[in-house]
Amino acid sequence: MKNVLMQKTPVKEEAVLFGEKKSLAGIVTYPPGVIDRWLRPTVILLNPGIVHRVGPGRIYVKIARALAAIGYVVLRFDFSGIGDSAVRYDNLRFEKSAVSETQAAMEFMKATRGSECFVLLGGCSGAQISFDTACCDPRTIGAILINYPVIEDEDDSADADLKHRRAAHYYWNFALFNRKSWGKLFSGRANYRQLMGALKAEARRRFAPPKKAPREAAPFQANLQRLAERDVRLTFLCSQGDPLLDELREAGGNDFRRLCALGTITLDIIPRSDHTFSSLDDHDRLLDVILKRIKAMTPAGNVSLNKPQIIPGAEDRSAVGF
Amino acid sequence: MNPVRPILPFYFGSPDKRLFGCFHQPPPGRKRKCAVLICQPVGHEYINSHRALRQLAARLADVGFPVLRFDYYGCGDSSGDAEEGRIPQWLEDVSAAISEIRQRTGLAQLCLVGLRLGGALSTLAGVQCGDVESMVLWDPVVNGKSYFENLLFLQKEMLRFRPRPKGDRKSRGHIDVLGFPVSHFLYNELAKINLLSIAEKPAKNVLLIQSNQAAGDDSLKNHLGRTEARLEYQRLDAPEIWLPTTDGSLLVPGQVLQSVVSWACGAHP
Repeated sequence: MKNVLMQKTPVKEEAVLFGEKKSLAGIVTYPPGVIDRWLRPTVILLNPGIVHRVGPGRIYVKIARALAAIGYVVLRFDFSGIGDSAVRYDNLRFEKSAVSETQAAMEFMKATRGSECFVLLGGCSGAQISFDTACCDPRTIGAILINYPVIEDEDDSADADLKHRRAAHYYWNFALFNRKSWGKLFSGRANYRQLMGALKAEARRRFAPPKKAPREAAPFQANLQRLAERDVRLTFLCSQGDPLLDELREAGGNDFRRLCALGTITLDIIPRSDHTFSSLDDHDRLLDVILKRIKAMTPAGNVSLNKPQIIPGAEDRSAVGF
Repeated sequence: MNPVRPILPFYFGSPDKRLFGCFHQPPPGRKRKCAVLICQPVGHEYINSHRALRQLAARLADVGFPVLRFDYYGCGDSSGDAEEGRIPQWLEDVSAAISEIRQRTGLAQLCLVGLRLGGALSTLAGVQCGDVESMVLWDPVVNGKSYFENLLFLQKEMLRFRPRPKGDRKSRGHIDVLGFPVSHFLYNELAKINLLSIAEKPAKNVLLIQSNQAAGDDSLKNHLGRTEARLEYQRLDAPEIWLPTTDGSLLVPGQVLQSVVSWACGAHP
C-alpha cells in the first residue's frame, strides 16, 4: 500500500480550544469534500508521553492528514500541561485527568461535528490512556495502541528483573552487532555488572519455567476480555526494536494469544523500528499499518455507525477549514 | 491558585500555505509597546524545545508582551510536508508572522527571539526588513554547514541504538535526519548560511545568549559587536535543550528564560 500523503490530497485543518475552561488546544483535520461522518468513526490522537500533539518526527501530523485524506475526521490535541494546553491546578492524577480530557475531546467532537463513535490512537502513555478510556467509555469502538507500556516502571526499585531484561534486549539487538560495543567490552569500559545481570535474566527468560506473571497482568487481561465482549477492536502496534513487545506478550498471557487468534485483537510488529519510530522508513511502515487497521475497524458500506441527526451548526463548522 | 490564561491557536498566511500560530495575550492593563515574535528551531530541535519556548512565551506575556509563536511551512502544525522545507520559504514565513503580529497588536515595535536555526532566520529576516527594534539570539546556528554536519553526527549516533533503516532515501531526493527529511535543496541553502558574513545590524538591540556546552568561539559575538547593534552577550550554564535526552524528557532552562524576560523588560520598559 502506498503512503497516502504522497498523493497530496488537500485536507483542511482547524485550530481549536475546548474543555471546561477552553484550555485544551488541538487541531482538527477534515477530509476534503463532504464528510460522511455516519459511516466513519472520528479518530482522536493522544500525546505520546510529553511530546506535543505534533508527535515525534511530526508523525501525528502525517497520520492525521493520511486519515483525513481517506475520509476520517481527526482530532489531535494536548493533554493539560503538555504542548499548548494549560496546566491543571486540581491535583488530579495524570491517569485520571487524561482519560477525562479524552472524554472532553469526544464531547467536543460530538457537539461541534456530530461525532458519536471514536477510534483512539496513541503511542506509549498515549496508548495507555487510549486503552483506559476504551475500558470506561462506550463511545470508543476501537483503539490503536502503539508501543503500549503494559508494565509500570515508575518505581525504580520495583523490578530489577525488568531492567535486566531491557538491558538484555539492548545487548542482544544492538550491542552484539556494534564494533564500538565490542571495543568497550575488551578495553574494560563496559558495565560488566549490568551485562552479567542481563545475561542471567535472559537465560532465565529463555530456559527457566515461566514464573508468576507481573502484577499488572491480571487487570490487563480482565480488561482485554471486557473490551472483547463489547466488540471494541484493539490493535497493538509494536516496534520490533522495543522491549515493551516482550512485556506485552508476557502480561497478556494466554488470553492475549487467544483473542489474537480470534481476530478480536491484532498485534502488528513494525520491523526494524525503534520506540519512537525515529526514521522516515518507520513512519511509512507505521502509517501503512494504521490506515489498514483503522479501515478494518470501520464498518463497511451501508452500515451506519451513528444515528443521523442534525447537530445545530455542525454542518457549517465542519465545512470551515483553518 | 494560578489563573489559567488560555492562548489563542490559529492559522494565518496565504491560503495555499497556512501557518500555525499561538498568540499569548498579556494580562489586561499591562500591555507593553513592543510585540515579541518567537522563531523556533526546525526538525527534532523544534520538538525538543517546544516546551521551553511555550513557557518563554507565557513568561513574556505575563510581564506585558503580546507574543506570537509560529511554525514554519512544512513544520509543526503548519501546512506542507516536511520534505518541502526550504530556507527562502521560512524567511517568507518569518515576514508573514511579523506582519501578522503587527496587525494583530497594532504595535510597530518588534522583538524577535530565535533559538538555533530560528536564531539564524531571525538574524537574516532582521537584516532584510531593517526595522526590528530588538532581537534575542539563543544559541543561534552561526554556520549552516557545521550545523548540518552536527545533524549527521547525531543521526549516526542514533543508529548505534536502533536497527538501520532499509529504504534508500537519497534516491527520493532527501536524507533522513532523526525522522525529518533534509532535501538536497535545503542542504544547499543551509550550507550558504553564515552569520559571520552579515554586514548590517539585525536589530537595534541584540542579546546573544550562548550556553556553555554549546558555545563555540566568540566569533559571532565579535562580529555582531562590529555592527551598529547595541549588543549584550551572556554565556550561561544551561543545557542544550534542543538535543534528544536519554529518557525522553523535555528540558526547560529557567535561567535562560529569566535572562530573556529581564533583558526584554529592560529594552522595552
